[in-house]
Amino acid sequence: MVEDSEIITVIDSQGNTVELVSVEQWIEDIDNLTDLGKGVLIKPADDVELLRDSLEKIVFIALDFVGFDEGRGYSQAALIRKRWGYSGEIRGINAHLDQLQFMLRSGVNTYELQEQYQGSDEHDYTNGFSICYQAAADNAGMKQKF
Amino acid sequence: MYQYNADDTAFLVERVDQFEKQLNRHLAGDLDAVKFRSLRLRNGLYMELHAHMLRVAIPYGILNTEQLRALADVADKYDRGFGHFTTRQNIQYNWIELPEIANLLRDLSVVGLHAIQTSGKALRNITADPFSGLTKDEVEDARPYCELIRRWFNIHPEFSWLPGKFKIAINGAKLDETALQIHDLGLNIVHNEAGELGFTVYVGGGLGAAPMVAPEINPFVAIEDIISYLESVFRVYNLQGRRDNLKRLRIKFLVREHGAGEFARMVDEDWQQTKDDPQLKFNMQELAKLKQDFTLPIEPLELEDFTDTVDFNYSIWKNNNVRAHKLAGYSIVNISLTQLGTAPGDATSEQMRMLADLADKYSNSELRTTKRQNLVFPYVRQDQVFDLWQALEKNSLASPHQGTLAHVVACPGGDYCDLAKAVSIPIAQQVQQRFDDMDKLFDIGPININISGCENSCAHHHISDIGLLGLKKNEKEFYQITLAGETLYETAIGRKLGRSIAGAEVVDAIEDIVNIYLDNREEEESFVDVFKRIGIVPFKEKVYG
Repeated sequence: MVEDSEIITVIDSQGNTVELVSVEQWIEDIDNLTDLGKGVLIKPADDVELLRDSLEKIVFIALDFVGFDEGRGYSQAALIRKRWGYSGEIRGINAHLDQLQFMLRSGVNTYELQEQYQGSDEHDYTNGFSICYQAAADNAGMKQKF
Repeated sequence: MYQYNADDTAFLVERVDQFEKQLNRHLAGDLDAVKFRSLRLRNGLYMELHAHMLRVAIPYGILNTEQLRALADVADKYDRGFGHFTTRQNIQYNWIELPEIANLLRDLSVVGLHAIQTSGKALRNITADPFSGLTKDEVEDARPYCELIRRWFNIHPEFSWLPGKFKIAINGAKLDETALQIHDLGLNIVHNEAGELGFTVYVGGGLGAAPMVAPEINPFVAIEDIISYLESVFRVYNLQGRRDNLKRLRIKFLVREHGAGEFARMVDEDWQQTKDDPQLKFNMQELAKLKQDFTLPIEPLELEDFTDTVDFNYSIWKNNNVRAHKLAGYSIVNISLTQLGTAPGDATSEQMRMLADLADKYSNSELRTTKRQNLVFPYVRQDQVFDLWQALEKNSLASPHQGTLAHVVACPGGDYCDLAKAVSIPIAQQVQQRFDDMDKLFDIGPININISGCENSCAHHHISDIGLLGLKKNEKEFYQITLAGETLYETAIGRKLGRSIAGAEVVDAIEDIVNIYLDNREEEESFVDVFKRIGIVPFKEKVYG
């Protein structure tokens, strides 16, 4: 992710460069931003209900998981992916190693870890468990007991 | 008795493995103290005054004797030979060394015990009626529901990083032994007009500095819809609960801010979009299986020629500690861990093993734990109660004062806990010393005294007949007294008596309060009933006059 003054760009999992706008900017200018192929950066305090009707026009969604104890991103991801059926890429940015399993099961499908976790063994935190006790956006091939 | 299968045990081990990696990263300096704190609390580990404290869950308050022996072994191997049974169906160890924690947790996983979500901002161990399945007037045994709901919210991907901690209680009896409405969420199992089973849902209770009785937000949620309904409560809380103010994190503040009606509407709005999701329907097949697993392991007994032994001390003990069982020929026996001169709820490893041996012999190898920090033997044959009493007596565990004023509930307090403002255990001991005359105690009857060392209210002082809250003023310890809190028949928070009282004078004040009760009591009137009739003024005048 590159933060150049106010323009944030990412390279999505297909290798395309996508420019991100805020939820507020998106709502103000949906048609124009759709034509420009913009993605949306969602912050914890954003009301994702606002995106519900225009979800399929968004090419890429980034959710910000910067605060360790800030848990709203998991519900935002679950609403967008599971309830509203968004099929595009949802990336967890500023992610924490210890929270990957929660993000991925809530509907996030790609992630970008914070720098402090570089070189860590991610597998322990993405696939640490063989069983899950609840239905979620992604049950990740685990044994299901619910 | 219900037990974990191989998949569940494997999960417990995987969880320990992951926590051990996190611990090692922390010890190596790769995981900072703030993040590690959040992670260790979710595994029940606190940094206390002198050492680390570990809180181990006792799900729905049930232990088999193998588990109790494992808890005793942990006390010897990793602690100083004792454990503290809490008011919320957990056991705490106060002297744990950090590097040993993973081995300790692995030892516990062998017997299906764990410390998952016993602390931190997630769903805690679910409180159940310790007499579940045992009493006549029960609507439904709550334990299978506790287990299914516990499982669902076990490291739930969406709801593991809530604004604050979240405590649930589930009650299936007519009398509420769980203190349902002081929980973040309480489920009362009820029948609707059509005779179907479901839950009345209460949200937003809690003690602490701003005690609140949870209002009802839904009179009836059908069994099969309860998971989706709970998810909606969690979702509204997760997205809209306060995260900016450390003193406003609990769901009670969100409920208070919006009002119960509006909060209920917000939950319902979310729920209408998920209640028909087949993935979120309660698993009725699994429920039926669990009901089977929780079936009582005993059959009714015909004890035609049996007459119980007549013995003065036995009769006194029996009167206060033995309850009627729903099955003929059986009794429920309370064992008070609160002995004169010892800390409430504390048990030595020796006592735990001895109780395990007795439970093998007299109670089908099962025990329960209660919010008054007692152990319960759920299946004692009536013709063996006397034998059990003799064995308990021999081991100094046949305390007759269970249910009397001398049975004080107290948190670990300033002697152990980093958060405490004042001591609790020494005050409890002073109360026991002041009221050590059994005749007087029986005359006084069942008054509860609960002592919390700080506003976190671990000893539930708000819902006690006489509640004490420890405070610190100018480096000296003071106690705020509250009177006539209750939960059994209805839920009420205790009323503040007046200004707080110095530690040296607090037992005198308790004696004054008890005397006002005795002077005004009519026949068998309870403390709460006297208080309701005469009001707070006579108590105030006596204590401060």
